[in-house]
Amino acid sequence: MRERAIELMQDARLIDGHNDFALQLRILYQNRLSRVSIKEINKTHTNLVKLQAGYVGAQFWSVYVLCSAQNKDAVRLTLEQIDVVKRMCNSYDELELVTTSQGDAPSCKSILKNVIVGGIKIACLIGIEGGHSIDSSLAALRMYYDLGVRYMTLTHTCNTPWSESSSKGIHNFYPSVTGLTAFGQEVVKEMNRLGMLIDLSHTSYSTAKAALSISKAPVIFSHSSAFSVCNHSRNVPDDILQELKKNRGIIMVTFNADVLACGRKVVNISTLADHFDHIKEIAGSESIGIGGDYDGVERFPEGLEDVSKYPSLIEELLRRGWNETELKGVLRENFLRVFREVE
Amino acid sequence: MEEQQQPHSTAVPPGCFPPGMRLLRRHGGGWLWGGWSPSQTRHRTQAGKLNPQPSQAGTARVSRGRAAPSRRRWPGGSVWVLVLALALPSTGQQYLEEAERIMNSTPVIDGHNDLPWQLLRKFNNQLGLPGANLTVLNDTHTNIPKLRQGHVGGQFWSVYVPCETQNKDAVRRTLEQMDVVQRMCDLYPETFSCVTSADGIRQAFRSGKVASLMGVEGGHSIDSSLGVLRSLYRLGARYMTLTHSCNTPWADNWLVDTKDENPVHHGLSAFGKMVVQEMNRLGMIVDLAHVSVDTMKAVLNISKAPVIFSHSSAYGICPHRRNVPDDVLRLVSSTGSLVMVNFYNSYVTCSDKANLSNVADHLDYVKKVAGPGAVGFGGDYDGVTGVPTGLEDVSKYPALVAELLARNWTEQEVKLALAENLLRVFETVEEVKRTLQDTAPHETPIAFEELEGSCRTSYGYSNGASTAQRPPAALALLLALAPLLSVLF
Repeated sequence: MRERAIELMQDARLIDGHNDFALQLRILYQNRLSRVSIKEINKTHTNLVKLQAGYVGAQFWSVYVLCSAQNKDAVRLTLEQIDVVKRMCNSYDELELVTTSQGDAPSCKSILKNVIVGGIKIACLIGIEGGHSIDSSLAALRMYYDLGVRYMTLTHTCNTPWSESSSKGIHNFYPSVTGLTAFGQEVVKEMNRLGMLIDLSHTSYSTAKAALSISKAPVIFSHSSAFSVCNHSRNVPDDILQELKKNRGIIMVTFNADVLACGRKVVNISTLADHFDHIKEIAGSESIGIGGDYDGVERFPEGLEDVSKYPSLIEELLRRGWNETELKGVLRENFLRVFREVE
Repeated sequence: MEEQQQPHSTAVPPGCFPPGMRLLRRHGGGWLWGGWSPSQTRHRTQAGKLNPQPSQAGTARVSRGRAAPSRRRWPGGSVWVLVLALALPSTGQQYLEEAERIMNSTPVIDGHNDLPWQLLRKFNNQLGLPGANLTVLNDTHTNIPKLRQGHVGGQFWSVYVPCETQNKDAVRRTLEQMDVVQRMCDLYPETFSCVTSADGIRQAFRSGKVASLMGVEGGHSIDSSLGVLRSLYRLGARYMTLTHSCNTPWADNWLVDTKDENPVHHGLSAFGKMVVQEMNRLGMIVDLAHVSVDTMKAVLNISKAPVIFSHSSAYGICPHRRNVPDDVLRLVSSTGSLVMVNFYNSYVTCSDKANLSNVADHLDYVKKVAGPGAVGFGGDYDGVTGVPTGLEDVSKYPALVAELLARNWTEQEVKLALAENLLRVFETVEEVKRTLQDTAPHETPIAFEELEGSCRTSYGYSNGASTAQRPPAALALLLALAPLLSVLF
């Protein structure tokens, strides 16, 4: 099974929807890349060697900035995070910044395989986590797109003046906002026009419903799991999953132990695989992807401690009867489909 | 009295205006000249006492073989004077026509125009509003028909945001101004071509469009962040004026040279030097308009690439601290840099009134002190309210060029000032970027204590220190944050 998983992943490398390594670079090194070797750093879940061992072919690096920067220096901080991701992807041959669905097409990879000794290039993509990063400015949104950002999570754990978060009580911003305001709808429409993916992780139920109804393009959940399996506010209820299927969007299932296991002490690969099974039942495997949230949370299931462990998940799904086509979809094809349609 | 103009002593490339064919200074009530205009195919020789000089073969016009010595063909002196007296009223027109001819192939690249700020003030950047139609907008210095009439071929649009945004929303507002310029280019594609390189400007010239670039006006726009500086470069900004009329945490502005403010950094702080170095590495032109004299000198000494003053004039004529003093002009000359003369009355005559001739005085002055390679145009249109008679709006550049021609500027010198000097500086800046391409980006953040304002967070700075990271301390911070993180994610 293990070999099958590896073989599969060699052919269809993972596109992971969400990783907060850039945040760690800020916290640990003040974005000073000269002080760290990305290849072997071992303080974090992520490093280049582990990504390659995990058969990760493309990674969305989150340029998250704390909610507490809302109405303060969120824009500046977001630009700094975008800058550190770009410098990182520029400094290492193993990484390459990509901004289109063609950028990580399989054919492109196989050419690169011959060029890079000892490894394949990992495509870097950029995602903003939290609408507070645009400071309610469509111009800022456009400029982020120009800089290469390809998704924006509409909220993090705080409301913006135009969208509601699923987290209550962590921050006290804009408490009366529900769902999407009129301006929030403008934001969604502008994202459609630009070709930026709309990410609904962290958003409230009403925000997700509103976005799903007005977006002309498929949307994503870059790192959320199934509410029916564990009723955490970060997870997606069945009816929204059904909307998502109609929308032809994708939920990139996340590995955060706290949202997987609802307080159960034992959280392992099987717990995670239950979420996959459930979502496949409700929305079909073509609506599924993977968004680990490594380096963004602390607790991961046993067996999935860092970014080298993805094959173990694929192994488990194979064991549960998932076939290769479905798994290739989960690994990359579903996401590529969504990305192409958004473009 | 007839004055004989000597050929210019500064290097005039061969094949240019032959020395014998010069424009003479004012004589009595009108102008005498010994040149030619496009509307007349015959040559005129100098009326009067200039030494006849053989025409140079290099210029196509001269190759008609009409050497000055063969003046015998022409009627005698008094008839000449009569002819010229009759022709006098039209010589001004001839300079203008000559100016237009030159500008047809070498339009002006102006260093600084604040139309984007007007778009914000008047329309909140809503370019779709009917009143914002740039083909008919009539209460600004700038609109599309005027740009055409003025032979404007290249424009650095200022993405200025006021000093009061410093430590507040300066970054976001700068992004908004950059966005409005890009949308302007998208909305009027027959007129504007948004470009980011010297080659881009040349291509726009060839296609007859206004090459449009962006200049950040004031270091407060980057909020002391090199990451933001790099992002603005990636978004297309190609110069940054280091300060507007306020200090940044790392550079002093011109007001510290007046009674109004005291110097803080006496030029550039250590971080300020990193900003300049990073700009050199990126290939972003350093602009020294609005900075203090110490800042000017500090930059001219450390920058690896030539710099510009995008809209400043000559202190030697009008001792306003926004202008460039002579010793700095000499540094401008020795570094191959450029002063793009500002038309604002207060900087031209140090009073609230000025005329076109006063502006030409500044251009003459800079040419004299710093050389013809150091002169340019930086009108500051739509950034100021008092502009000179004769230069009321952006359609008037040809009139100014005509004045320069009347003052004996050669065609080559005029072309240098119009565009070639800026292109040279820009290309050198791009070359310096290439030589620096293997150097690493600067990544030392500014010390947190150097920053002001409460609209900022401090995360990423461990324990307030911006230098050495000791792993245990950093881990302690991470562990301290961990419970918070796990709740958040």
